[in-house]
Amino acid sequence: MEVGQMQRRLVDYTKSLFMEGFLDAQFLQLQQLQDESNPDFVVEVVSLFFDDSEKLLNDLTMALDQPNVDFKKVDAHVHQLKGSSSSIGAQRVKNACIAFRSFCEEQNIDATLRCLQQVKQEYYLVKNKLETMLRLEQQIVAAGGSIPMIELGF
Amino acid sequence: MATTLPSSDQAPDQDNWDNEGLEHKRQLLTEIVLRNTMITLVVDGIMTRRVLVQGLLRPYGVQTLGVDNGRDAVDLIAFGVKFDLIIIEKILPALNGLDVTRQIREIGVCCKMLGVTTCSGENERQAFLAAGVDVFIEKPLDPEHLVPILRELDWQ
Repeated sequence: MEVGQMQRRLVDYTKSLFMEGFLDAQFLQLQQLQDESNPDFVVEVVSLFFDDSEKLLNDLTMALDQPNVDFKKVDAHVHQLKGSSSSIGAQRVKNACIAFRSFCEEQNIDATLRCLQQVKQEYYLVKNKLETMLRLEQQIVAAGGSIPMIELGF
Repeated sequence: MATTLPSSDQAPDQDNWDNEGLEHKRQLLTEIVLRNTMITLVVDGIMTRRVLVQGLLRPYGVQTLGVDNGRDAVDLIAFGVKFDLIIIEKILPALNGLDVTRQIREIGVCCKMLGVTTCSGENERQAFLAAGVDVFIEKPLDPEHLVPILRELDWQ
């Protein structure tokens, strides 16, 4: 595939992630912080988000598997995941965390277990999408092209 | 270098790809040149967010040190490390941002402190300001918030 074609594919793919609500404006801000002096910034932050999220999802799974669930602890983990996802613009994960926290407050075990599944699903979806997007970017750079700047109105 | 590429021909106009607000933010990112070297302490329990704030400050040549909890922040300051700016999140593990701010002020530190949180109520704002931060910012923290503060610090 020629570079121009790959660039258009990347623009369309990234645009679809915004249209489908996987990402929000915060992700654009993250992209704007990447420049020649800091060429891998997005990959670095997104990788941190993956590491952080997977650790938190494990902690959450364990915390909700206890005979006496400590909802304060669960809420603290969800708060962390919400902060982490909103900082990179993973909007659907963030929204799932907001619903999760309200059920923590109610100490509703069934609802929190459902929320955990929902958050996991949203996380793995956005992870997959981001990995595809970053792979496309790498292919463009490897072919000697530049990463097109995505701009959206919010 | 990133370039602007138009989307595919099918892209509808209402998507508003060229956005003045974003352009303005980009200008803020590139136009400011600081005369002085500054060091900022970033206190945030969430690693992704801490790295993002550090990434926001780096283009201006601002050095940053990040800590993931309030106790380490207080220890650093008590030890005598000097900062030009402290950016502190309200919700932190162990010691919350308000308590950390109070302790930092009690040590006698008078540098600019920026309290950041997602909670936007007036009570939250007043509580953080009463604890000793100079500015309260509702997230997300972005160049529009940071640039005027960096400029002000640079001229002091």
